[in-house]
Amino acid sequence: MERKEVFEKLNEIFRDVLDNEEIELNDNTCADDIEEWTSLTHIQLIVEIEKTLKLRFTSEEILEWNNVGEMVDSILAK
Amino acid sequence: MVVNSLVFLLFFIVVFVVYYTPVIKQSATRQNIWLLLASYFFYGFVDWKMLPILFVVTVLFYWLGAQIKKEMDKNEKGKASCYMKSGVVIGIGLLLYFKYLNFFAESVAEMFKQLGVGVSWSTLNIVLPVGVSFFTFKLISYLIEIKRKKTQPAENLLEFATYISFFPTISSGPIDRPNTFLTQLRTNHCLVYDKAVDGCQQILWGIFTKVVVADNLATVTSQAWNDYQSMSSSFLILAILLSPIQVYADFDGYTNMAIGVSKILGFDVTKNFNHPLLARNVSEYWNRWHMSLTSWITDYVFTPLCLRFRDMANIGIMLAITANLVIIGLWHGANWTYAVFGIFHSILFIPIVYSGKLGKNKKLKEGKYGLPLFKDFIKMIQTYILVGIGQVIFFAKDTYSAFDYIKHLFTGPWHFECPIKLSIIVFILLLFVLEWTSRKKEYALQIHEKYKDRQIWKLFVIDYIILAIIIKFGCVEDSQFIYFQF
Repeated sequence: MERKEVFEKLNEIFRDVLDNEEIELNDNTCADDIEEWTSLTHIQLIVEIEKTLKLRFTSEEILEWNNVGEMVDSILAK
Repeated sequence: MVVNSLVFLLFFIVVFVVYYTPVIKQSATRQNIWLLLASYFFYGFVDWKMLPILFVVTVLFYWLGAQIKKEMDKNEKGKASCYMKSGVVIGIGLLLYFKYLNFFAESVAEMFKQLGVGVSWSTLNIVLPVGVSFFTFKLISYLIEIKRKKTQPAENLLEFATYISFFPTISSGPIDRPNTFLTQLRTNHCLVYDKAVDGCQQILWGIFTKVVVADNLATVTSQAWNDYQSMSSSFLILAILLSPIQVYADFDGYTNMAIGVSKILGFDVTKNFNHPLLARNVSEYWNRWHMSLTSWITDYVFTPLCLRFRDMANIGIMLAITANLVIIGLWHGANWTYAVFGIFHSILFIPIVYSGKLGKNKKLKEGKYGLPLFKDFIKMIQTYILVGIGQVIFFAKDTYSAFDYIKHLFTGPWHFECPIKLSIIVFILLLFVLEWTSRKKEYALQIHEKYKDRQIWKLFVIDYIILAIIIKFGCVEDSQFIYFQF
């Protein structure tokens, strides 16, 4: 999967889970940039990403992400 | 040395004068050395015997942080994880030893007694170091944040030791995270007039809520917690209704003083409260109450547990919430009442989790005449009462007393005599009104924006009124802060 393609899928998931159609993700987007992105919705996002992209993250890699760019790196490394 | 005492005032004047002398303020290092000396003096003044422990754990965690960074740079995540886990174990071990060993020994002895086996060991005489729960959490978060690549290690031991022992927050928080605080120690601080005035205002407001509201109410609530059997039901109900505002006024009062003192020294300290009395459910309450502790537990306990239980949907979330709240409860001390307090609050989360409303609190809206919406107001009252019932468990001597207190609510006599002066009732109502009207401010007395518009006389008038109220109605007894014991 290309990086651009991953971003498109993530955009869709974020908009759907966080119920905000205005979300436009980029490498530097982090939880502080999106009001609806809380510790709880973060878990919902992970569950949805894993289900959609059919992959599984370890807790350690999830906890090390600082922004969407690092999340995408993990997805591409799978 | 409590923050609202004359001794502290004298101590702070000396700290302030030296801190801003031209020779010191030119360099961040000199200011940090002075702050470190002042912080160790402050800590040693309370209990000098604990100073070596504070120093040793500071050096140890500084070294562990450097090792984690070194291994992470070499991409040796396993070794870095090993150093981090060792630090976490040491930190938890420190808390277990000082806070929970007596409790554990007593519980085991009690268990043997119930089984008919007599054991005779005397209770270990371990003295609880002041602020151990607060500085241990800072030490642990330092290592985890480096491991998670969320922060860089301190540049030197001086910087780290100053962060850990920073005197305004060492005894009762807020628990500052390394990424927000360490960077502030890297530049020298000159006296910023507006910030210092803001700090003074915040201290004044903190003294008002502490000595006028909290201390006056403490006389009623402590009577109820300690001697509930001889009190009327109406008095016990009154204590439940007064307790949330008393504890809030006490802890928020301390926090405002600590933040105010920090501001005068040029530091921005983490916010600890966001008007918890306006919470519309218990989930919102925990988002607004003791935020530096709850966000710590959320990051290091709740989120990892939620991730682990993520395939279990709502049951997983409830398990994580229960573990979270029991840990928060037990963080306050070694007593089963604190664990039951956590379980009580986690039960209140069940309807929120299963209705899918967890974490989806809408912003507070104004209704007619600037008042809260009626439905929000009703929810605020409900939450306030539930928090008050939780305080019965929190302050009870043991779990039996907590349930017995609740039983006495229904079985005791009913004769109502108001034990609080009318003036104090007025101040309580004023505090509730200000909670609502100043909900967008950091604290109620924050008016220096207007002061900037050359309305300085308003500032002076309000300050003099508050000062007069403190002198006239403040509780003069030498009272300790509730959170000082934790």
